Amino acid sequence: MKRQLPLLLTFLAGTIPIVAFFVPERHVGLVSTTLDSWLIIVAGFALLLGVVNVIQMNANKIHRRSSGWPYAIVLLLSLAIMGFFGFAGAFDMFGGIATRPDGSSTPFDWLYKFAFLPLQGTMFALLAFFMASASYRAFRARNVEATILLIAALLVMFGRIPFGEMVSKWFPLATEWIMGKPNMAAQRGIMIGAALGAASMALRIILGIERSYLGIGKGE
Amino acid sequence: MNLERVMQVDRRIIYLFVAIGTILPIIFVIGLPVSITPPVQMAFDRIENELQTGDIVLMSFDYGPSSAPENAPMADAMLRHCFSKGIKVVVIALYPLGGLSEAVNELNKVTAEFPELKYGVDYVNLGYKDGAQAAMKKMAENIHEVFPTDVNGTPLDRLPIMKNIRTYRDMKLVVSLATGIIGEWWANLVNAQFGIPVIVGPTAVSAPKYYAYLEAKQMAGLLGGLKGASEYERLVVNRYPKLGEVYATPGLYTATKGMDVQSIVHLIMIAFIVLGNVVYFTTKRKPRKAS
Repeated sequence: MKRQLPLLLTFLAGTIPIVAFFVPERHVGLVSTTLDSWLIIVAGFALLLGVVNVIQMNANKIHRRSSGWPYAIVLLLSLAIMGFFGFAGAFDMFGGIATRPDGSSTPFDWLYKFAFLPLQGTMFALLAFFMASASYRAFRARNVEATILLIAALLVMFGRIPFGEMVSKWFPLATEWIMGKPNMAAQRGIMIGAALGAASMALRIILGIERSYLGIGKGE
Repeated sequence: MNLERVMQVDRRIIYLFVAIGTILPIIFVIGLPVSITPPVQMAFDRIENELQTGDIVLMSFDYGPSSAPENAPMADAMLRHCFSKGIKVVVIALYPLGGLSEAVNELNKVTAEFPELKYGVDYVNLGYKDGAQAAMKKMAENIHEVFPTDVNGTPLDRLPIMKNIRTYRDMKLVVSLATGIIGEWWANLVNAQFGIPVIVGPTAVSAPKYYAYLEAKQMAGLLGGLKGASEYERLVVNRYPKLGEVYATPGLYTATKGMDVQSIVHLIMIAFIVLGNVVYFTTKRKPRKAS
């Protein structure tokens, strides 16, 4: 029963939206839309589960004094502080979550603007430095495929900036052609492949062949 | 010159070049010209030519502060365009890491430029909802069930703008300013299943995959990264010259200013890639000394 019930629930949750898509019957549609509402609630709990997981992992790290454990303390403290002000804002303790009705900042908004926002911005901005260094060291015309990739990348990079057009109007046109034709063809291939993979995995889960999500080994 | 040493250049020197290339154009604004590409023109034309005063646009803030330098100017330009044309905007956020705060900040900034607009009549912020795909699907049935209140806790029935809006059928367009995969869901789930036109403004790194949806007519336009945002800004200023005053405000971050930085950094990266390859081929051709 411990295994059969989750498998049955997964089967029903997986098949009902598929059946509802093809059967224009009101009651089937109602069940399907109710499942959609439940999914929003489940997604909320998944977020909560993520928070619990972060707390468990980092608490263990601190307990075992694993490498970088002081950072785990910073992370947990930040989580607690942001969480507290978020909850307090939701219960109207500071006049709102993001901003007060007069437009002034709540503590949550202040922390968001002056801590979270610069930190996230820094994380993303660092990519430019790493990409410049990595491309200098690794982006080489070692063989035909790498040379094609290199030429396409240089054309796109040059064609996407105003200097490209200043040199020749053909650079932006070449960039758009690369993005709209060869790139699109490759992206379609990747997307179709990924969709087939996702569909086959979904079928395996619905039919109970794939059970790893239950913490049970394959085929057990 | 010892080419081997050039190959082994300290990465901090490359970082220094990138840092200088980033900082200088911020201090000394160059104002490089912006050319318009077809995907951005399509997005602009959809709003400018196919929407009327009083039409409703759903704008979803599906990005956080990490990609805000790219996505926020898109949001600003599109909000300014809609408000200049008298189009009403329903704002939502589906990105958990700061989507709502970005929506609040951008709405506060842009609506301050249009004092005649009334909250709840001309625009509304419905706030954040978790479970992006499920929320999108459910909104096709009933938006009021997904967002029973707006971001301030006001029931939707008390907001005049929401009285006649129940599903996607009551809106003319969806705009998603997106990082990650949420923009893709708007195209392959909402447009494909419910038929509402979708415009996506993704980050530059995600933009290539959206061309497949654009070619398949699953998207009505595409603003790829900062370049797309700067093009949209240019189109909006050309069509509504009064907005030029806003964009000329000193200290205001715009995509056009950001493109100066991106242009210089792109040139630095191109120079380093070319240099790296020149050195690679030169050292490869040189016969190695016998050890």
